[in-house]
Amino acid sequence: MEKILLLLGVDAEGKLSKAGLEAVEQARRLACSLPGASWAVGLVGRDAQDAARQVANCGAGKFLAVTGDAFASPRYASDAAAAEALARRSEATLILAPADSRWMRALPGAAHRLGAAVDTHIAAVEVADGAVQVRRWYYRQRIEAQQTRRSRPWVLLMDAGNIEPWAGEAGETALEALPAEVAESWDRTKVVGVEAPETDEQTIRPDAGLLFVAGAGWTKKQPDGLSHLEEAAELILDFVRKTKCSLGSSKSLVELSSEGQAVLPFLTHLHQVGQTGSTPRHPKGLATCCHGEEPHVVGWRFIKERRAVNLDPNCGWAQGKADVLYVADAFAVMREVNRLLG
Amino acid sequence: MSNGYHIVVCAGIVPDPLQTLEPVTGPQGPALRNEMMLPAVLDPWAAHALYEAAHLARNAPGSKVWLVSLSPKAKLQQVMMTIAQKVPFELVALDGPASGFTDAGETAVALARAIQAIPGLDRSRLLVFGGWESASRGAGATLQMVGEILGITDQFQGVDALEIQSDGSFRILERIEGGVHQVSACAGPPAVLGWATGTLPEPPNQPQIGMQNMRAIMPALQGAQPAGLAGGKIEFLEVRIPSVRRETQVIKDLSPEEIAKEIVEWIKE
Amino acid sequence: MPEPDRQQMDVDIACVGFGPAAGGFLITLARRLADRDGPALASRMAPGMPLQVVCYERADDMGFGVSGVATRARAIRESFPGLDVSEIPLAAEISEERILYLLDPYGASRRPLLMRFADRLIRAFPRLFRCDRDAIELPFTPEFLHKAGGLVLSIGQFNSWVGQQVMMTGAAQIWPGSPVAEPLIEEGRVAGVRLIDQGVDRKGNPAGGYLPGMDIRSALTVIGDGPAGPVGRKLDEVFGMPEGHRRDEWAVGMKFVVQLPEGVDLKPGTVFHTIGYPEPEIFGFFYVHPGRLASVGIFVPSWFENPARTAYRYLQHYIQHPYLWRYLKGGTLRSWGAKSIQESGRRGEPYLAGDGYARIGEGSGSTNVLTGSGVDEAWATGVLLAEAVVDLLEKGEPFTRENLERAYVGRRRRSWLEQESRVAEKARDGFHRGVIAGFIGMGLTGLSGGRLAVPGRPKPPRKRFPRVEEFFADRIPRGEIEKIRQECAAQAKPLHDALMERCGWPKIEYDGKLLVSHQDALLMGGKVQAPAGVADHVVFLYPKLCESCGTRICVEMCSGEAIHPGEDGVPAFDREKCVHCGACFWNCPEENIRFEAGPGGLHSAEN
Repeated sequence: MEKILLLLGVDAEGKLSKAGLEAVEQARRLACSLPGASWAVGLVGRDAQDAARQVANCGAGKFLAVTGDAFASPRYASDAAAAEALARRSEATLILAPADSRWMRALPGAAHRLGAAVDTHIAAVEVADGAVQVRRWYYRQRIEAQQTRRSRPWVLLMDAGNIEPWAGEAGETALEALPAEVAESWDRTKVVGVEAPETDEQTIRPDAGLLFVAGAGWTKKQPDGLSHLEEAAELILDFVRKTKCSLGSSKSLVELSSEGQAVLPFLTHLHQVGQTGSTPRHPKGLATCCHGEEPHVVGWRFIKERRAVNLDPNCGWAQGKADVLYVADAFAVMREVNRLLG
Repeated sequence: MSNGYHIVVCAGIVPDPLQTLEPVTGPQGPALRNEMMLPAVLDPWAAHALYEAAHLARNAPGSKVWLVSLSPKAKLQQVMMTIAQKVPFELVALDGPASGFTDAGETAVALARAIQAIPGLDRSRLLVFGGWESASRGAGATLQMVGEILGITDQFQGVDALEIQSDGSFRILERIEGGVHQVSACAGPPAVLGWATGTLPEPPNQPQIGMQNMRAIMPALQGAQPAGLAGGKIEFLEVRIPSVRRETQVIKDLSPEEIAKEIVEWIKE
Repeated sequence: MPEPDRQQMDVDIACVGFGPAAGGFLITLARRLADRDGPALASRMAPGMPLQVVCYERADDMGFGVSGVATRARAIRESFPGLDVSEIPLAAEISEERILYLLDPYGASRRPLLMRFADRLIRAFPRLFRCDRDAIELPFTPEFLHKAGGLVLSIGQFNSWVGQQVMMTGAAQIWPGSPVAEPLIEEGRVAGVRLIDQGVDRKGNPAGGYLPGMDIRSALTVIGDGPAGPVGRKLDEVFGMPEGHRRDEWAVGMKFVVQLPEGVDLKPGTVFHTIGYPEPEIFGFFYVHPGRLASVGIFVPSWFENPARTAYRYLQHYIQHPYLWRYLKGGTLRSWGAKSIQESGRRGEPYLAGDGYARIGEGSGSTNVLTGSGVDEAWATGVLLAEAVVDLLEKGEPFTRENLERAYVGRRRRSWLEQESRVAEKARDGFHRGVIAGFIGMGLTGLSGGRLAVPGRPKPPRKRFPRVEEFFADRIPRGEIEKIRQECAAQAKPLHDALMERCGWPKIEYDGKLLVSHQDALLMGGKVQAPAGVADHVVFLYPKLCESCGTRICVEMCSGEAIHPGEDGVPAFDREKCVHCGACFWNCPEENIRFEAGPGGLHSAEN
């Protein structure tokens, strides 16, 4: 009989993240499809009361928590200890958690303490013939596998964006607080705060409805034989400001900056999407002046609706990968788009 | 720090990121088609870790850098011919699969054992570096387990910067959600740092560093022991390339104004 | 600019370029150095150390930027007695060999009258000629055209395999991603090589992380950087060529490596050599590797005078020839690449040795232009040099011109290589009179053991190419060409697609797998890359000359579309697309392109 533990980090405001609520929904469905399975939610943070209320009606049989100042910020030593304590208390055979930075940092190490196996980049957890199977990504979202393991405990770190977040009513529930044994050695690391990269304005917005991908074509010479970097920068930033979209960039454009070439100054490695970059999730994506093949196009694997503006109708970035490809000069199109957006 | 750091960089080899990957299933489980024929590189994020390690070692006299790699020996040798020219390090080679389908836990045990066996390694000066996940294989779990086996509980992932403070402590920037960095202060070694891109460009090729490195690399490769991974921990039911082909509507004949209008309407939908 | 402070390193033997010639050289030498039974060969440059042997390769890995071949592999087999071919990925024993004459299914190629007549005859009596899908197998082909008993190899995989063997001896080091800028020539002696500057902008000016190229000083410099290598060409410039020797004949070889569709059961080692299509001057090949992979490609020679010559477009038509398409249709592009080939053979042989240096491989004129064989010959030159070097080292004799002439050049002159290349020397002269004369000439030379040939006077490519208007005069009215020029200029496109389609070549229907745009071939097949921090390796020397150039053949023939129409008629170079084939420098009618060594290019090792 499986015992499921869902680990959730509680943020500074006492809330759960969207990825956390997606994991709640995943755990709920899993528990429902495993006859006889029990499931518990394990919360980690400064204070877990509000978070417990937020998911009180999710169907979990038990709400456990490890709380206190030592657990307020995501940190390996404290998070791994909390995860270990919660797993032992719940005697979990399946330990689920969202693959956010907190649990990606701490949970694999905790799994080792528990003698558990770990799988990451999980897109779905399913039950077939009474056994748990996962669908996960390998090779950075380029290969997917359906797999299972016999050994327990089994830690499953689930990628965000694969399931609707749990959206039930808040309520009251009993929260069992585990005694927090804070080790002195944890204080070797102190979380000081959060720092945004040195750019003038926000251009990465994970929750935005639209991802705007800028490719190296923006820096190339235009029909007049000149490159128009200033105008490119202004068009892109203007669009990002007006739509509050998130900005991504192709590898080649980010790397051009390391050549001492004049490039778009606001782009950093954090903007890079695709192989060796990120694979962000947004409902819509608009790619401009991008050219590339499969490894780069991984960058918009998780974009649901995709459109592209490119001068080459056979462009590998768009053909077979975008829903709509506009064969046109992105400068002209984006000028007009920005004008229409006011 | 007067004695410098002992920096161990864990880095596997992966197919050159631009290669087309296709899974095949063999007797040992899933693998990449023509895996041994695909050009290989040092895992890009782990390579950044190596450059950061070398940079740190250069600025902290008495430091030493080891590169621990679990990879097929022949392929690793080929990768070394490029990477050995970049920065000084000593290679610790484990002969075994560099496959993304290997269980991260097994890989971690093999790497940790290899690290523990490094003669003269001083735990109080130890920094374990690696990529925050393989930039090609993408597991993101191995390094944490290596650290755990080594008993290191100051661990950081998605690191873009490590600054040494005047008191010898570290200021560390980790990538977290929302395109920002979490800033931590850490008392110093031992620590585990899984690097993202970092801040350093790829170093130029330096022939004399290559010649120097290669004197120890070849014996290390020749003496590389099998990593002894048992495999079989994961039962693969299906491994495939996701079907991503879409019916692309190619619109060639609209004016920029008409296209802009369509795009704006679509954004606002 | 003052001379920067360069680092320097002393080695005994510095080798430039890791191709088959360097492979033969290094494996032969390294085995001897690693042999503990023989007398130790100590380093003179680093006393107390073993002999220091290094090889610098431009490309980013050992097997990049080369091609698949069918070779008799006589010298290669001699180096690896009892060779188990299955050890080398993608290698196969040649199992079946066909020489095919391909008809033109579209009637778009420029066939001479005699050929058109022959085509009509074949089409009128297809059974008589055993015409199958617009192709006939030549029934009586002379022995010299066959490669029976040989191997089909992916040189990418072969080079990697050889490199691993060399490295495992521990006696020599190969450094990829290390382009050599030039030889160090001091008082008529080659004293080593200089590596390229790093940390510079595209024009070569110091930028962040500037590291001046290191001087590698060596007792012997072995030049095996191929026909387009800058070190070999610099030596030719400084020392000149032997009397009567010239490098007037070239070709671009371009090929795809294709994953054949399920159900195609061609035996590994199957080899087709083709003539007649897509143009009579263009030879083609189709080699089957194990694992249902095939190398399929063409050679576009310098005596094909079309100034809008595009190997890529022709290759797309070639693979769709009905005879080949039945195997290739539904296949997937796995790799793609292109390279320049020196077709002058022995006539292009430079001084093979001088004080402190020796030349091996294709750049040393070793290619046999009768049999169309280069890899095995290149390998043999490397082996011969290694034997000579061991000889000199054992006797304690220095690497002077006299000693190298005796030990290396003497060996070469006595070898089968020399005998066969003398036979082949004039084999292709007939092509300078026309395609038919060319084929007759090859036949005569081959069958007479080199005693007979159809005479012809080779001209350098720059003197061959007519203007577009002249070449297409019989097909496209001048006014229409001007219109095509204007349309292409407005779209910053080369002319060849428009010109070919106007001549009857069908449009390419892309399938996204094998028939893909040129740009996608760079990415899907070549995985072409260009690292930062080095100077551009293709430079237009005098923009004024480009402005007045009537052909812009550099744009038309560029294997990667890296050279494209630019400002004021001066072509622009985009190194992210360059495959380093070197065709631009020998095609330029004005000799206005400087082609140097740079890192990057193809990142595929299945070639």
